[in-house]
Amino acid sequence: MVRKLCAPGRTLASLQHCKGPPTSVISSNLVKILRIPALLACSAAAFGAGETTLLDTMNQELVRNFQALKSKADTTPYFLAYEISDIESHEVGATLGVLNSQGNSHSRYLDVTVRVGDQKLDNYRRVRGDRIQFTSGTPVSIEDVPAAIKPRLWLETDRVYRAAADRLIRIKTNQQVKAADRDQSADFSSEESYAHTEPVYKTTFDEAKWSGMAREWSRDFRAFPDLLSSSVSVSTSADNRYFVNTEGTKVAHGRGFARIVISASAKAKDGMDVSDFETFEAFEPSGLPSAEAIHAAVKKVGQNVENLLVAKSAEPFVGPAIFSGRASGVFFHEIFGHRIEGHRQKDEAEGQTFTAKVGEKILPDFLSVTFDPTQKQAAGTDLNGWYEYDDEGVLGKPVKAVENGVLKSFLMSRSPIEGFDHSNGHGRRQPGLEVVSRQSNLIVSSTKAVPFDQLRKMLLDEIKRQNKPYGLYFDNITGGFTTTQRGGSQSFKVIPLIVYKIYADGRPDELIRGADLVGTPLASFAKILATSDKQEVFNGYCGAESGSVPVSAVSPAILISEMEIEKKDSGQDLLPLLPSPLAAKGDSN
Amino acid sequence: MNRFCTAFFSLAVLLSAADNDKVFEAMKAELKRSSTLKLNQLETPYFVSYSVDDGITYTATATNGGIISANTGKFRIPEVHIRVGDYKFDNTNYAGGGFGGARYDLRSFPLDDDPLVIRQYLWLATDSAYKGSLQQIARKRAALRSVTVNEQLPDFAPAPKFTLLQDFKPLTFNAEAWKDRVRKLSAVFNDFPALRASLVEYSAIDGYHRYVSTEGTEIRKGETIGSVQIRASAQAPDGMIVRDSALFYTGDASKMFPEAELMKAARTVGEQALKIAAAPMGENYSGPILFEGVAGAQLMAEILGRNLHIARKPVAPAGMPSQAASTELEGRRGVRIMPEFFDVIDDPTRPLFGQEVVDDEGVPDKTVSLVEKGVLKDFLRTREPVRGYTESNGHARLAGSQPAPTNLIVTAKETSSLADIRKKMIDLCQQRGLTYAIVVKKMDFPSTAALDEARKMIAGAGAGRSAVSQPLYVYKLFLDGHEELIRGVRLRGLNARSLKDILVAGNDSATLNYIENNAPFALLGFGASSAAVSVVAPSVLIDDLELTKIDDELPKLPIVQSPALSASK
Repeated sequence: MVRKLCAPGRTLASLQHCKGPPTSVISSNLVKILRIPALLACSAAAFGAGETTLLDTMNQELVRNFQALKSKADTTPYFLAYEISDIESHEVGATLGVLNSQGNSHSRYLDVTVRVGDQKLDNYRRVRGDRIQFTSGTPVSIEDVPAAIKPRLWLETDRVYRAAADRLIRIKTNQQVKAADRDQSADFSSEESYAHTEPVYKTTFDEAKWSGMAREWSRDFRAFPDLLSSSVSVSTSADNRYFVNTEGTKVAHGRGFARIVISASAKAKDGMDVSDFETFEAFEPSGLPSAEAIHAAVKKVGQNVENLLVAKSAEPFVGPAIFSGRASGVFFHEIFGHRIEGHRQKDEAEGQTFTAKVGEKILPDFLSVTFDPTQKQAAGTDLNGWYEYDDEGVLGKPVKAVENGVLKSFLMSRSPIEGFDHSNGHGRRQPGLEVVSRQSNLIVSSTKAVPFDQLRKMLLDEIKRQNKPYGLYFDNITGGFTTTQRGGSQSFKVIPLIVYKIYADGRPDELIRGADLVGTPLASFAKILATSDKQEVFNGYCGAESGSVPVSAVSPAILISEMEIEKKDSGQDLLPLLPSPLAAKGDSN
Repeated sequence: MNRFCTAFFSLAVLLSAADNDKVFEAMKAELKRSSTLKLNQLETPYFVSYSVDDGITYTATATNGGIISANTGKFRIPEVHIRVGDYKFDNTNYAGGGFGGARYDLRSFPLDDDPLVIRQYLWLATDSAYKGSLQQIARKRAALRSVTVNEQLPDFAPAPKFTLLQDFKPLTFNAEAWKDRVRKLSAVFNDFPALRASLVEYSAIDGYHRYVSTEGTEIRKGETIGSVQIRASAQAPDGMIVRDSALFYTGDASKMFPEAELMKAARTVGEQALKIAAAPMGENYSGPILFEGVAGAQLMAEILGRNLHIARKPVAPAGMPSQAASTELEGRRGVRIMPEFFDVIDDPTRPLFGQEVVDDEGVPDKTVSLVEKGVLKDFLRTREPVRGYTESNGHARLAGSQPAPTNLIVTAKETSSLADIRKKMIDLCQQRGLTYAIVVKKMDFPSTAALDEARKMIAGAGAGRSAVSQPLYVYKLFLDGHEELIRGVRLRGLNARSLKDILVAGNDSATLNYIENNAPFALLGFGASSAAVSVVAPSVLIDDLELTKIDDELPKLPIVQSPALSASK
């Protein structure tokens, strides 16, 4: 399984802001559900009744199906959950001053979870090499019409129930013919139930205004005639999620996403593709940077690509390096974050780099790493990985994964692992896929933090100490991928876009192109020497088994004593044969 | 009317005014430059064409009175074709892969009418296509060194310059009213609580097609299309899922179907799906089958219309099989393929759904006499020369310049009334000791099957047989003249050769409008492209056809009763 964190490229959107603590009751059986309507009524009174209609429809059908299945089916379910994701999104994109994409959509997707067996052993048992996929994210009506929504809930429940019962039978057979799993933990955890309803989050999108802005911003790229492709896009979305389960959880919550993506690419004379991008994220369009700031970012991206065209190609190199805060965030997301996702610790097909390392030192003792879905902002930026409840209806909680270099915890969904019986609200998914544990807001903090200038001096010292001609500075990284499975080597690769050679002899920094970062996680961590004292934010979308989910990585810049780069595999395309029509006519604007 | 786009954008930008079409001017300017392309001593382009299709799409889907999605969007899709070499031998008709051309990370085509940025896009797309064509012709030459080709046909047929410049006249389309109508239509199924699922969808496309080529052809024409799909499914007591649907198509989206007609159709679909679900299973059968009414037109569309061309076999690298399968009528020119009282023409000029002036390759559509007195005379042809033909007759209507009919008109000189045909069937039964004959009143063509069901239908045809769509309304006609609906049968061994076994044609005529997409059974929503087709044909009685009882594994009935039935108790 290859996992990626990619910045440009849109996917879904998700979840809104909770005011005050959510109402919750501890309940794991149907009797206690009876207490919830009273609580729900309170929140409905506080927020207006409209939001409960869909939840009520879902709950009625949930209860009806659960009871009927329990009384009629051979293999009885012990748990049922429905999640409907209501996603409304708007997007405009422009190139060279001209609109070239425009899209609006509003859809609702239904995900059904049926668990048969019992919490100890159910149809979600991880079996080596077996992909678990019951749900389908089937579209349901975007209007709160019970007659339109209920038939879909019913049919999908029937389909998922059959698949669930089938798999349980296969798992039980499998259990008898293979050695016992190392991890004897249960398949499903007991959790609190939550009742929380908030107003539907609505997105606003002034299409005329944003089309105009996208045209205006993208026109700045005309000043860079060597670009072959460029774009500026603006998108907003509202992601409202409705969740009910047979333990009594009833949650309706939502949030907004607003995003500007700036990107440009070109082809060097030797055929190598070069590119750069910049993104800005906020909960709402009003939180996006000023028009001037975007103009400046467009020009910077354009200039970076022009500079890359004339930059020297990277040579294979091993030596000290600094990662900018954003680059470091991606680095941690890939090489650390994916390896502490809980479900990987019990999957026999996984490499399990950290499974047996709880309580051990895995990072230098000046570093701590927290995953905090409740944090809304860092360094003045709205965080993409913020949410209130995960996709199993569990309240998102901060997880201190590493404290002073020592591994403390994993990211947990409701799939327990040895020593970790409960979810910490990190069960996430893209609609249509099964939940697994995923990252939220990754936050790296350091007690060995120095101003950036000093970090740079430390780099120069390290270059001299190692007797290297130069060190490297990774300024912008486009994301990367990592292999966590046993079949592959436990390595990672991140794709840096903007990399400089830093000379110890006082020569100016030199931009290089085509450097790919390679390495193995445990070895790389040990080589972190110090960090800067300023956090930077990388907002993006992370792709893995459960699809694309919004995440953030927050980190100071880090100094590493040894990093390896390899030459990028470059194309051999010739440049276009005829001159650009833009160049032929000059800039008409 | 041949391009559908599933991307939905909104429409803040107006389409270009035709008298000052900057998009068209940009296409012409870049086309002129493209003919100067040259790389070292390699071939230069001898033919370049650009097309840009744009327009606005309106769609909505609803179920049981609730909208699932509703969109209005603008699209603009460019296509660049480039040929190096010459008409006799060029880079096309080669089956090997691996010639992508240069990658320029091209994004979406401009929606605004800025000539420079449009030219920028076409410039890069052309450059990439040219380099890809050079790789392609080199590989094709290499392949020809190790394989022998039976017959050296030219690769491309020259076509005279053609000019058609129509202004764009935007429709006034009331999307909101149609959204409401679709919601209302879908609510009809709330009166049928025993149904399993139902769906109503409309779409309207207000499009504009532009085409220019280095041969001097220039085309600008409006293309609109409107459709409504009404579908329902039900589950029989043994678990079999049965379907019915009503599909409406029009070439004039401003005049889409009266509401009363649609409401009635929805009701019929609901009733019919439940009737089929309640009907007894059919059995294996061999004997005369009457394709009555629209089933006659559906039969002609599928087994005649889809076989009226010759597939060109591309040059394939050694060891790689040439992909194109022969069509069932290939090589049968001058041979009788139907009884002598049949004539078949393809008439693009008739004011039916398939009406067309010019095809995707810029060739005017010509009326073609395909079958005369039962003898196959001609094929639907494109600019891709095939054995025996080097000229197009203007039928390149699908992706990859694949041919499709426009208005396929099947006429019979000798006909009988449907009552007489039934008498004849009963006589045949009596002669052969059969207790009943079969009447098919509706086929599943174009098919509304889900993908996994379509796969079963293909597998159900048996090895080596081409699958035909399933009959939807099948009746046993008993000797006393009464009819009983059955379900669960497939036609076996039905193909273009079955047309010779037509015993008699009806004195009626039915019209089928559909979207041809080259997918099996013209499966709705599949295929890379689409062409509007009308088929007009009489009912036909075919002798010695077989039905087989479907013995696929059946899904179980849901354990939980449907919410509608549960509520109606």
